[in-house]
Amino acid sequence: MSVSERTEAEPTETTASDRIQDVEYTARTWWRRWGAWVVTAINLTAFFALWELIARLNIINPLFLPRATDMLAALWEGLTTSAPPGAVVSGSIRDHLFFSLSNLGIGVGIACLIGIPFGLLMGANKYIDAILSPYVWAISSMPRIALVPLFILFLGFTRTMQVTIIVLSAVFPIMINAWAGVKTTEKSLLAAAKVFGAKRHQLYTKVVFPYTLPFIISGIQQGIGRGLVGVIIAEIFGGAKGLGYLIQRAADTFNSALLYAVLFLLVVVSLTLIQFTRWLEATVAPWRRLDRL
Amino acid sequence: MSTPNGAEPPATPVIVAQNLTVGYELHRERQRLTALRDISLTVGRGEFVVLVGPSGCGKTTFINAISGLVKPWEGTIEVNGKPVEGPGPDRAMVFQDYALMPWRTVEQNIRLAFELQDLGLSPEEQRERVDRYLELVDLKGFENSYPYELSGGMKQRVGIARALVSEPDILLADEPFAAIDAMTREAMQGELERFVAETHQTVVFITHSIDEAIALGDRVVVISYRPGRIKEIVDVNLPRPRFEYDFKTEREFAELRDHVWHLVKDEAIQSARGAVR
Repeated sequence: MSVSERTEAEPTETTASDRIQDVEYTARTWWRRWGAWVVTAINLTAFFALWELIARLNIINPLFLPRATDMLAALWEGLTTSAPPGAVVSGSIRDHLFFSLSNLGIGVGIACLIGIPFGLLMGANKYIDAILSPYVWAISSMPRIALVPLFILFLGFTRTMQVTIIVLSAVFPIMINAWAGVKTTEKSLLAAAKVFGAKRHQLYTKVVFPYTLPFIISGIQQGIGRGLVGVIIAEIFGGAKGLGYLIQRAADTFNSALLYAVLFLLVVVSLTLIQFTRWLEATVAPWRRLDRL
Repeated sequence: MSTPNGAEPPATPVIVAQNLTVGYELHRERQRLTALRDISLTVGRGEFVVLVGPSGCGKTTFINAISGLVKPWEGTIEVNGKPVEGPGPDRAMVFQDYALMPWRTVEQNIRLAFELQDLGLSPEEQRERVDRYLELVDLKGFENSYPYELSGGMKQRVGIARALVSEPDILLADEPFAAIDAMTREAMQGELERFVAETHQTVVFITHSIDEAIALGDRVVVISYRPGRIKEIVDVNLPRPRFEYDFKTEREFAELRDHVWHLVKDEAIQSARGAVR
């Protein structure tokens, strides 16, 4: 076997500047970077313009569809002014927003305090899992709204009733995600920890819990979404404060600008909260962000 | 070239397995699967022993028995004269899928062994060890990177540093390069030979690549398909460091490869058929 003469390539020194070069900044690169934002801005402007046009042309009864500008005006006024004492639906949204958000905060907080430990315990211990899971699955699969009359019966039209509904809405996604995190903890990570000397409790503190943390955060994300539904349901059914109540009253008083303003606000609040938890998840568990791409 | 059952007793025995039979439970089917039957093997200090055999021949089970992750059903396994009761700091492992904690930086991953067990090292000694092994595996400057930011080869360097940092008597490696692309794999084999030469580490290495087995091992233990038995122990006398010259063009390498392939050929075919289960 003869090896023919090998030609060796000239050794070349590669430096970072050889490999990474600045690209000329053109309209094209600008568009690649900002194009999506421009499209979104045009898209939303067109949406509100069309809305305004339809409302102004009286195609739909203004009782059902206010002008977009009226809606935004109502929103601005509601967020910048406080309600005079006694006037519940004076157009102030701010107080109702704070009330709903604090209920949501308390509800999701309690749901975390219950859901995280129980979810972890169910994941870690098959007996606890076997005992609790029928109740968890039964209640979590039941439409929460069906339970509202029962809670009103028990607790009356109180804040406790509202928070209970929020907790019940938010707790199961949190619990189930924590459970799933423990259950899916990678076997090889556990084996590695064992080989390097982990005792039983260290398997939980050093492997299972950190592995489960991003799952818990997704659980909280879902919990906030469900909790927000709980907030509105609870307030529409019974209560004298909050965004749900405001929606109900605005509809009752044919104040469509206010009604739409609250709905619009709900979208904004919901999106903000979800984006926040997404950001939190990406910060706490950057490796999962890559997995999902 | 080959001895029927490792006749030559190695220098100081570090691992002694005698008539080891071990397996695992299949929960759903309420069955026990014997992975290895009647294995007797002695590994001497500083020896590089490679176990080669088809998928499902129980290689991993053997390494798990040494590490203490599984208990023998019959027979005994001793490390440094004491029966294996469970994992201990005298043994460390490198995993096929790296098994790095994704939430830990490279340095934090390497420090794992220090955190989980008390090796009696002062913080300065720990610091110094981490530095030394980061240097050894060429990961200086990547201390604060996360595993997801690294390539497969770099991840496994972290895995190797993590295992070596506690300076164990025995390094166990379960197909450590199986998930690494072919070119990097070859380079990593050379790197491992260098690490071992520098640390005089005793190594038990699993692979299903015959080339890898002969390239790395002082002895190659050929294991038969389920339940695994030692079929033959092949001595590899190619001079070291092997990755400094073109050992793969040596006649001995070709002969050894041919010999081992003929030993496992039928087993491999059987394993390929049985793989469907």
